[in-house]
Amino acid sequence: MPSLCIDQSSTSVAVHYLTLVLVFHIENRVFYASPAFTMDDEKYTDINGKPITLDYQRHSSFCTEFIVSSPKVSIGTVMVATSFVWIFAYAVFCLTDNTAVLSSAIIITLIGMMLYIHFVKIDHESLLVIGSLGIQLSSSYASGREHTSFIEMSKIKDIVINEAIYMHQIIYYLCILLRDPADASAVSSVVPLFPSSKPRLNCLVKVYKTCQEIISKC
Amino acid sequence: MVPRLGSVNNIFIIGLICVVTWLRDNAAVVRVMVENSPNSPSPLPERAIYGFVLFLASQFGFFVFCLWAYVPAEWLALLGLTYWPQKYWVLAVPVYLLVALVVCVVVLFGVNMMATAPLDSVDNITDPYARRQPRHEGPEGGIPRLEDVPISEVNRKFFL
Repeated sequence: MPSLCIDQSSTSVAVHYLTLVLVFHIENRVFYASPAFTMDDEKYTDINGKPITLDYQRHSSFCTEFIVSSPKVSIGTVMVATSFVWIFAYAVFCLTDNTAVLSSAIIITLIGMMLYIHFVKIDHESLLVIGSLGIQLSSSYASGREHTSFIEMSKIKDIVINEAIYMHQIIYYLCILLRDPADASAVSSVVPLFPSSKPRLNCLVKVYKTCQEIISKC
Repeated sequence: MVPRLGSVNNIFIIGLICVVTWLRDNAAVVRVMVENSPNSPSPLPERAIYGFVLFLASQFGFFVFCLWAYVPAEWLALLGLTYWPQKYWVLAVPVYLLVALVVCVVVLFGVNMMATAPLDSVDNITDPYARRQPRHEGPEGGIPRLEDVPISEVNRKFFL
């Protein structure tokens, strides 16, 4: 019955777009740069060419904080993705005449988006270097969840920019070399910094120079 | 990888020209060296015979395969060849092989990705040979020894 299926799907579509708009509104208000941070004028991009922003603040001569922010998910991308899913679900519904297809498509897209912004989409990553104390790495997700880890200075051998093969290309990435407890001059493990935003070399060199100033002083 | 990619390309082209000139001048010496080594890929009479035998065997194998595929089973039974495999396999074996080929292409890509060290692995920084090498202080004014330079030193030279 074509009139019935249009009626049902149009209400569900309306409900969806409303939820989407609400989700976006909330997500976009989670973080914005506070005036204490210096925004860089130079245009930084990540390895795929998408623009990112680098904010840094020198709290003192031995303490600096860097924050690399990824661009937010644009509403255009979300609309395109959900339209594809729903048009496909609508086509399946018109073939099979089973309304469960429509409701399951709705539930799947909602739950998928919630899981994505909570577990996958990183809003910004920050690096706080405190001389002779340690380094704190923190990534905060689009839903507001934050994951932080601290590495004390005695464990850190050096911060370097290394080149490695990543998928089909060779990228520069900034990493912390951790000291081997048994052998002072050996490297036991590597912690890559800014793992999801992956800035390009110009951004990494800036962070590297400041970190080396602080680390070589202590 | 290193900035100023244009100059690296120029140096590469100049180096290539030097190598080609050197090779042209020393081609005869190089040919004798390659021919006399035990693993040279040059043609030999034994290799020609192996190649021809393989060619004949593969042509004969293809002829027998076509026979098996096209001659009806009753005629083969009349000839006395009753225990040949079912005709199903005439289609199945080529299809299996082609699908296996396509899967191999995908799996090869996957194996390469699995074999690449992840970004947080120590193998991107150093390895047991580099750790064990002794660091020599070269003579003043001389060319330093060829050895693995530690990543910290490389970074200081490039970025500071």
